[in-house]
Amino acid sequence: MRAAGSGWQAEDGGRRDWTGWLFVAFFTLPFLLFNLAPLLFGVVLAFTEWGIIGDPVWVGTANFEQALADPWVANAFWNTFLYACTIVPGVVVLGLAFALFVHQRWPLSTLARTLFFTPNVVSATVIGLVWVWLLDTQFGLVNRYLAFLGIGPIPWLTSGDWSLIGVSIASIWWDLGLAFVLFLAALQDEPQELHEAAAIDGAGRIRRFLHVTLPHLRPTISMVVTLQIIASMRIFSQVYVMTNGAPHGSSQSVIHYIYQTAIVQYRLGYASAVSVLLFLAILVVTLLQRLLLRERAGG
Amino acid sequence: MTPGDSFSTRSDGTGSVGAADHGAIRHDSVVVCQVRPIGPIDSRFGRGRAAVTEGRRDRGRQAMDTKWRWSRRSLARAMGAAAAAPFLFHGRAPHAQRTIEIVHWSWLAASDGEIWQQSIDAFNEAHKGKGVQIKMELVPEEQFVTKVLAAVVTGRAPDFGWGTAGLRAKLVKDGVIVPLDDVAKKVGLDLADFDPFALQQARYPKYGNVLAMVPMDLMSLQPLVNLAHLKEAGLDPTKFPEDGAGLLELAKATTKKEGGKVVRSGILMTGSGVHPTVTWGIVAAQMGFERASSDLKRAAVNPKAGIAAMEWVLDLFDKHQVATRDVTDRYKAFGTGQGTVFWTGPWTLNGYTQQKLDFAAFLFPKIGQKRVTYFEMGGLELYKQADAGRYEATMAAVKWLSDNSFLWTTVGRGASPRKSILARPDYKTAGHDWKVRGAFIEGMSFATEGEIPVQAGPDFTIYSGGNFLAKTLEQVWAGKSKPEEAMARIGEHWQKALDAG
Amino acid sequence: MAEVGPAPARRLGLRDVPIWLCGTLLALLWGAPFLWMVSTSLKPAAQVMTPVIEWFPREITFENYAKVFRYPVLTWALNSVIQAVVATGLCVLFGAMAGYALARLPFPGRRALFALFLAVLMIPSEIAVVPLLLAFIKAGLASTYAALILPQIGNVLAVYIFRQYYLTFPKELEEAALVDGAGRFKIFFTIALPLARAPLIATTVILFTLNWNNFLWPLLVTFDESMKTMPVGMAAFAPVVGTHTQLEGYAVAMAAVTILCIPSITLFLLTQRHFIRGIALGGVKG
Repeated sequence: MRAAGSGWQAEDGGRRDWTGWLFVAFFTLPFLLFNLAPLLFGVVLAFTEWGIIGDPVWVGTANFEQALADPWVANAFWNTFLYACTIVPGVVVLGLAFALFVHQRWPLSTLARTLFFTPNVVSATVIGLVWVWLLDTQFGLVNRYLAFLGIGPIPWLTSGDWSLIGVSIASIWWDLGLAFVLFLAALQDEPQELHEAAAIDGAGRIRRFLHVTLPHLRPTISMVVTLQIIASMRIFSQVYVMTNGAPHGSSQSVIHYIYQTAIVQYRLGYASAVSVLLFLAILVVTLLQRLLLRERAGG
Repeated sequence: MTPGDSFSTRSDGTGSVGAADHGAIRHDSVVVCQVRPIGPIDSRFGRGRAAVTEGRRDRGRQAMDTKWRWSRRSLARAMGAAAAAPFLFHGRAPHAQRTIEIVHWSWLAASDGEIWQQSIDAFNEAHKGKGVQIKMELVPEEQFVTKVLAAVVTGRAPDFGWGTAGLRAKLVKDGVIVPLDDVAKKVGLDLADFDPFALQQARYPKYGNVLAMVPMDLMSLQPLVNLAHLKEAGLDPTKFPEDGAGLLELAKATTKKEGGKVVRSGILMTGSGVHPTVTWGIVAAQMGFERASSDLKRAAVNPKAGIAAMEWVLDLFDKHQVATRDVTDRYKAFGTGQGTVFWTGPWTLNGYTQQKLDFAAFLFPKIGQKRVTYFEMGGLELYKQADAGRYEATMAAVKWLSDNSFLWTTVGRGASPRKSILARPDYKTAGHDWKVRGAFIEGMSFATEGEIPVQAGPDFTIYSGGNFLAKTLEQVWAGKSKPEEAMARIGEHWQKALDAG
Repeated sequence: MAEVGPAPARRLGLRDVPIWLCGTLLALLWGAPFLWMVSTSLKPAAQVMTPVIEWFPREITFENYAKVFRYPVLTWALNSVIQAVVATGLCVLFGAMAGYALARLPFPGRRALFALFLAVLMIPSEIAVVPLLLAFIKAGLASTYAALILPQIGNVLAVYIFRQYYLTFPKELEEAALVDGAGRFKIFFTIALPLARAPLIATTVILFTLNWNNFLWPLLVTFDESMKTMPVGMAAFAPVVGTHTQLEGYAVAMAAVTILCIPSITLFLLTQRHFIRGIALGGVKG
């Protein structure tokens, strides 16, 4: 048996197969046990109510019915959608801009690259606490500097209107690094000849960017958008550390809602049901993306 | 109870059949752990062995099971097992030759936490070299019950922890909490020294009427008032309102507004969470609302009063404009002078006193027909252990803490449930100034709005930011739901809970 | 594959100066929160909330750090190290083996298996967290190293990166060894793996960081201080969900997070190139 691209000719087919399976077994076993099985178990769990102490009780679709009728679930999904709408453009636009800048290899570009990427390697607790302090309504740096511009103190994390934005700002600062590096790599992959040809034809920098660089970056942009959308739908740790969903659930994401249902109310079956709903939502979003991309590529 | 503006623990009220769980816990009517106590390490090892069969540590298991064969392969396997072993078990260190380490989980997160730490330190100091020490761990309040449950199931429950009377019905029912009548007698805890009302609150009549906790303090919610604001508004800093009208008058005089928005609240309120919920609970009770009838059969008695109370809270924001929704950290807000009147429990006194805030406490005004406020009792409860031999040592420690709770009930928080401590001549003069402390002790007489001692108790409590009641009310405060609708939903949910028992 | 390393600086044209200035200032601004964090951590509590903004402390004190160490920080750090090292080590090793097999060894079901891996890669791990938690609790393994490590071993990212790499790996060395009669395992461990230094380092560094920063899972599955990892432990200083909500101040919180980010940033600065190359490896082709 020979799959394309392997280049290996099987000499004694039977033994080759066995070796291959042995190789993958070490990874596949934990993968199946702790990464795939829980997904399937979760679907089953969603149809039960299983407390930490006690046996599972089959409840059929009751959890799903309740979840779909629960205004707090709808609120969490809506917030998650808003998070995606705020964070994704922020990360993509800024990431691309910064990557273009660093790509010029002007003086201090390595320093800039380090500075842009570093927030990405620290943990959520760092992000959360640093930004809670920066966004403090009375003494946070952000409001202090805004005051110089005459803008009154914005209750970043303490009001229902702003808390989601506050958490989004911290998230952009955190997530940008990945997009930035991906764009940078793609830029450096760019074939120079087209650029030179366009320059000879007299195209200015902006036109060159629009007509040469951007098309080349399209696959990377779509990948970054996909990754970031999914990342935004998973948002949890910064919400937990910064606001814990307050005030009145205005910054609560779906995973945060699941966490609360599981840990505070220990309703694991219900939490599982909401997890399944989230999975379906992500599936829909991913499929939509693929569809749009295919149209784009074909059209 | 919980001063943290966080979500309390809730039971789901749908009552899954609390059958015995596989593992260490056997469920009997006499709730004593039946697992043969070989010793903590052995019971843990047993579970570890079961765990080892799962997953890919097969080599380790084989090494442990078979005899030592000194071939290279089995030696390698054995070494693998030895290396893997610490990664599989993790529990308390085995009992050292002389010292028992009692594990205590606390969720006290306000300034009372500091005093409690001092109490634990005092115990450890007094017992140095006597073979017992307490190790205290802090757990965020909203996760407390779930983590206790998980720990119990895993066989590594903490020995004792803080509980709130009336909210642990489900844990008692499931055998997670150890009944204390017998072991209290064994260690000589003088139950006659306790206020009978306190002891009664520590029992759950529906579940065997066993003593579920050792009461440590009785608390009520009373208003604190920022005296500097009063003086600024030209008001007498020794006269405090007795009724709703007087309260609103004071609030209007001290509220500061800028461009139509409240920037300093006369009555400190938050737009969501615990504070408006407990306010509603108190005002509703004063106006004649009953969350459950005294026979625990009917829910939401006199809903009109409940609706009126919701409107009273809403009026603070919208009609009288003495409060703003845009406050989330109420402790910090009062501490930094963002509000004049703030009702809270005695657990905050330590912090405000330390920061030298100019404040006093007065008795909760009569806003409705009767004067009522929120009652809460904190106490220490013991959790099911794999090794039943630990209960006595733990109970002895709890007894010591209770006997020596003078500091706790003068500086930490609350009124002592122990007659001998109340009778001490220096009880009134020690601790915080009577000016800030007195109302909490004198106000106990009308602090009657406590917990509903049913399994779904957590759904009924008014001191919560995250339970069903709080979440439903939040919709009202945010203007997304009308008081009548909310009241109907609350009534329905509570009735179902009462019917389920 | 793109080389994303430092390249010789390009000449700065006159027209470019304003853009360069803007960009560099923006970069400095981007890193400013870290400076503010450290600065606040060194200030005495009373000087944190001052009427005038002070970027540099008037007087430097380490009392905040002392307060942080009243918590079992070293225990948390040890737990983080153990779980990150073991999980990363196992994941990289097994992932390399699987990646090699998927790229090099034609066995039946190979395509299907990889498709399965890819499918699960797209599913966020958070979705499986509740059933996993219940399983570990019921199995009596909650709050153990096993609980922290086991779910991290099956990280498909490692498989993906190594498979990418081995697809373009020169075959001659392996062919020669095969002709000499060497077994597949021997070939892998003596030739294929040692020569895969670039993906090895990159994957190790990236996975270590991901495992170190893991938050939701340790938060759920650990229930006592002795098993918490550093990111979860340090959340005790958070204003809303922390355990000292009334008294702890920003200065102490900043000290806590400064301590927390030192390992990650140190690792990153030491291995920057590998880090970034690894991301590009996984990202550009994919």
